[in-house]
Amino acid sequence: MKAVLSSEWVKLRSVASTFHTIGAAAAMVVLGIAWTVYVGALADERGMLRAAAPEEGFLPLVQMSLAVLGVLTITSEHATGMIRTSLVTVPRRSTLFLAKAGIVALATLATAMSVLLLTYVTSRLIAGERHLGFNESAFTNDLPMLLASGLSVTALALVGLGLGAAMRSTAGALVSVVSLLFVLPGVINYLPPPWNTRIAALLLPNLVPQIASERMSSRLGDGYLPPWAALAVLFAYPLITLTIGYYALKRKDA
Amino acid sequence: MVRRAGGPPSRILYGVIELQHLTKRYGGTLAVDDLSFTVEPGHVTGFLGPNGAGKSTTMRLILGLDAPTSGQALVNGRGYTSLRKPMREVGALLDAGAVHGGRSAYNHLLCLARTNDIGPKRVVEVLEQVGLAGVARKRVGGFSLGMKQRLGIAVALLGDPGILMFDEPVNGLDPDGVRWIRDLMRSLAAEGRTILLSSHLMSEMALTAERIVIVGRGKLIIEATVAELTARYPSLEDAYMALTSDSVQFGAAR
Ligand SMILES: Nc1ncnc2c1ncn2[C@@H]1O[C@H](COP(=O)(O)OP(=O)(O)OP(=O)(O)O)[C@@H](O)[C@H]1O
Ligand SMILES: [Mg+2]
Repeated sequence: MKAVLSSEWVKLRSVASTFHTIGAAAAMVVLGIAWTVYVGALADERGMLRAAAPEEGFLPLVQMSLAVLGVLTITSEHATGMIRTSLVTVPRRSTLFLAKAGIVALATLATAMSVLLLTYVTSRLIAGERHLGFNESAFTNDLPMLLASGLSVTALALVGLGLGAAMRSTAGALVSVVSLLFVLPGVINYLPPPWNTRIAALLLPNLVPQIASERMSSRLGDGYLPPWAALAVLFAYPLITLTIGYYALKRKDA
Repeated sequence: MVRRAGGPPSRILYGVIELQHLTKRYGGTLAVDDLSFTVEPGHVTGFLGPNGAGKSTTMRLILGLDAPTSGQALVNGRGYTSLRKPMREVGALLDAGAVHGGRSAYNHLLCLARTNDIGPKRVVEVLEQVGLAGVARKRVGGFSLGMKQRLGIAVALLGDPGILMFDEPVNGLDPDGVRWIRDLMRSLAAEGRTILLSSHLMSEMALTAERIVIVGRGKLIIEATVAELTARYPSLEDAYMALTSDSVQFGAAR
C-alpha cells in the first residue's frame, strides 16, 4: 500500500492539471483580499457594515476547483488508457483505488486548509480595526467553520473521484459535481415548505454551517442537524460515491 | 535463468504462460474462444492472427485487465491478479499510447516503478536501454509513435521480469528500431526469459521467433515451430496465408 501511495503521489505532482486546479483554488486568497479592500473602503465611508467573510463567500470556488482535481485523478487515466498501464503494475484494484482516494484526501485537505487560513489571515490583517462584521469574532469562534469548510472541500473532491470512477468520463463527473454543489440546492428551494429546508439541510453546501452550528443561510434559517449529524452526512457523500466508483472499477473490464 | 541459480530448475511451470480453455465474450462477439496453449521460456513465441483474431484480448485476459468469461490464464502457475509484485515477474507492452501525455517519460516510469518498489536508478537504466535518456524530461505527449513504443518497452523491462509480452511492438519503429527490437527480443529469450510477441510482419517474425501460435476468430489454428512451418510451406508468410485463409474477417474484397 505504501508503495502505491508513493506512486500516486508521483502521478499527482507530475501533471500540470494538478497545479492548475490548486492555482484556481488559491485564487480565493486574491479574491478575499480584493473583497476586503472593497468592503473596507465602503466601511471607511459609512463607518461600519456587515459583510460576508471571504473564506465563506468564495468557498464554492475552492470546492469546485479541488473537486475537478478529484475527478481528473481517475478520469484522466480512463481517457488516456493509462488506467490499463496502472492496473498491470497494480492488479489489485482495491489497492489502486484506495491509494488514489488517500492521496486526493491528503492533497485537497492540505490545499484547502492552507488557502482558507491564508484567506482568513490576510483579510483580517487588511480589515484592521474596521467594523466589517466578519472580522469581529475571535479566531477560536471561527475555527469550527474553517475546519468544516476544509472537510467539505475534501469530501467533494472524493465525491468527484468516486463519480469519475463510476462514469469514466470527465465531463459526466463534472456535471454531477456541479449539480450537487449548485443546481440541486437551487431546485430544492422550490419544494413546498417545510420540505425545502428539511432537504436543504442534507445538501453539501448547507452541511458546512450546520457542522459549525451556525445558521444555514439568511434565507434557509437555522439548520436541522446537530453538528455530529451534519458531519456524518458530510462523510456519507464520499463514502457512497467512492463505493459506487470502486464497484465500477472492480466489476468492469479496464 | 539467474533467479533460478542455486537449485535445479523446478517443474512448477516457472516462466510459463498457460492458457486453459480461455474464453471471452463481449456481448455478441466471441473474441477468444476456448483457447488453450502454453508459452515456454528460452525462445520468442510469435503470436499471429488476422485483425480481430483476439490476440490483444488474450493478452488483456492474461494480465487481468479483462475478466475471462470462462477458463483461465496462469503465469508462473498463478493468476496474474494474485501476484504481489507483478512487474518483477511479468512485463507487458499492450498499447504504447496508454500514457498520460502531460507526464515526462521519467515521471511516467517512476510512478509505475514505485508501485513495485523499483528504485529510480533502474528507471534511468531502462531509459538508457531503450534510447530515451536524452528525452527523459520531455512530455510524453510530444513523443512520436516509435518513441512511445520504446517507452512502453521500458515499462515492460522495469522489473527485470522473466516473462515478457509485447503486442505489436515494432508498430511505428524505424528500420533501426525494428532491428533493435529483433535483437532485444532474441537476447531476452537467450537469457532464458519467456517472450510472447504479436506482430503482423511475417518476415520480421520469421527472423525473431522460434515458435509460432496462430489464432483466428478467437480459436487456436496451429501451434508449431517456425522450422516446421517453413519446411511445409515456402515461407512463414505462405504458411500464415494458407492457415488463416478461412479465418480472415476484415479482408478486402478479392
Ligand atoms: N472491449 C471490447 N468490447 C467489445 N468488443 C471487443 C473489445 N475488445 C475487443 N473486442 C472484439 O474482440 C475481437 C478481438 O479483438 P482483438 O483486439 O483482441 O483482436 P487482435 O487479434 O488484437 O486484432 P489486431 O490484429 O487488429 O490487433 C474483435 O472482434 C473486437 O472487435
Ligand atoms: Mg491487437
